Amino acid sequence: MVNELLEETLGVGAEAIIFKGVFLGRDVVVKQRIPKPYRHAMFDKIFRYSRTKTEAKVLAKLYSAGLYVPALVLVDLVNYIIVMEYIQGVKLSEIINELDEEKLRKYAYTLGLQVGIMHSLNIYHGDLTLSNILVEEDKVYIIDFGLAGFSNDVEEYAIDLHLLKRNLLAIAPDKTEVFFKEFLEGYKRNYRRDYNEVIERLEEIRLRGRYVEERLKRKTSRDKYV
Amino acid sequence: MYVLGIESTSHTFGIGVVEYCENNIRILANVNDQYVPLKGGIHPREAAIHHTRVAPEVLLKALSRAGISLEELEAIAVALGPGLGPCLRVGASLARFLASYYDKPLVPVNHAVAHIEIGKYINRFEDPVILYVSGGNTLVAIQRKGKYRVLGETLDLPLGNLLDTFVREIGLAPPYLVNGKHQIDVCAEWGRDFITLPYTVKGSDLSFSGLLTAALELVEKYRGDKERLGDICLSFRETVFNMLVEVTERALVLANKREVLLVGGVASNKILQEKLSAMTKLHNARFGSTPSEYAGDNGAMIAYTGLLLYMHGITVEPDKAFIKQRWRLDEVELPWLMNY
Repeated sequence: MVNELLEETLGVGAEAIIFKGVFLGRDVVVKQRIPKPYRHAMFDKIFRYSRTKTEAKVLAKLYSAGLYVPALVLVDLVNYIIVMEYIQGVKLSEIINELDEEKLRKYAYTLGLQVGIMHSLNIYHGDLTLSNILVEEDKVYIIDFGLAGFSNDVEEYAIDLHLLKRNLLAIAPDKTEVFFKEFLEGYKRNYRRDYNEVIERLEEIRLRGRYVEERLKRKTSRDKYV
Repeated sequence: MYVLGIESTSHTFGIGVVEYCENNIRILANVNDQYVPLKGGIHPREAAIHHTRVAPEVLLKALSRAGISLEELEAIAVALGPGLGPCLRVGASLARFLASYYDKPLVPVNHAVAHIEIGKYINRFEDPVILYVSGGNTLVAIQRKGKYRVLGETLDLPLGNLLDTFVREIGLAPPYLVNGKHQIDVCAEWGRDFITLPYTVKGSDLSFSGLLTAALELVEKYRGDKERLGDICLSFRETVFNMLVEVTERALVLANKREVLLVGGVASNKILQEKLSAMTKLHNARFGSTPSEYAGDNGAMIAYTGLLLYMHGITVEPDKAFIKQRWRLDEVELPWLMNY
């Protein structure tokens, strides 16, 4: 049914094919998770099923909580398809380096507010990078919840922030500090649990990377107990 | 011009010799001797003792294979890290001695860079997405502005260590390899059914520790049931490899590259090669792996990378050639990557 309405292929992602189409008169995005030849056949099905299902659940919950995410239109768990609202906007990754400071701060703060609410709903994004953030005038949308999930573990929230920061450093190193600081202001305002706990965990995650010199220089176990 | 390279970061002591002549690079010798533990994993001190014992013999063998003498060398390259301290010191001491006694420039090589460079050389790749998997490393990288940039890496266990630990804990190893085939692939052949295990991909980072614990608990639960053990091995391997292929695929799509390069000790795993090759085909990209002689730790890759570094004027004074146990791949500035 959906196939007849497809207008164009928006892209072949790593995991899914994305089409643009029209559904009941509205512009929609159709995301179909395709089988992968490198996966064990049974695993392939389990994998696509669970990813599609979680993504749909997350989208529905976030949208009904009033966040700027695509509205969920339809889920087809037999064909691993999600149909969602089409969002007109540009990827933050494409324009971040051209933004003036005021705009940059505004987007960062707004994003922080959104992520704060998301984490307060026990939802993590799992791939919070600038290519998954769309901006349109004053609105900031979060998209692609393919790696998202439900958890009340502060670790998952800190990982979201870690991924965002690392992505910022890779794409816009000289804007990272301002953006991330402003982002945290917004985040702090809406995050309902212990904000400091997330920040501490964020630092811990950074030190976990392979061969990070500071890890050894940081307090030894002796310092912890004496 | 000849460059000699010394590898001793972990279980392998190796020496390679490369020749540069009229814009052509040839590998003349690649002699390696591996420390094989009788039980358990690598003991750093035992490995270092092994290296000191075999070093003179490996050196002489490499020189005679290459058909040159030490005086004819242009430079001495050595892997100063990352790796196990006691092992690194053996190679570093030998290199410092050779460089000062024969008055040759000493070239510091990062072991991870060497794995990637030899892979690019063998496959004639220009700008690949790199999946580097070995006993001590698991990461996905691309080249950008003078460095290899790590897009994703393991947050806990490296792949080789993970696979070895698993087969050791369930009583199948050592030996870890049978006729070049890892024990995990042997026991995966006994399995048919797929069991869901923890799957942890965070952005482009990977975490394996929860998966290992869960798989070991399952083995304990079905102790004595060979068929079930096969199912667990199969599911374990499929889950792990799928995580790796997934992050590599995402890097390939996001960075918009045309080549995928598999390097490091685990690069010789046939199943992983097949999976990556299948993924690469989907995106019309080229896949390149590394033959086992150059996939595992070896002297030739150090010599080859040493040659590249030397030609770009990178050397170190012997009295400043300290080993660096934690020398991250993305710390190394490489002149030939400036234009990416």
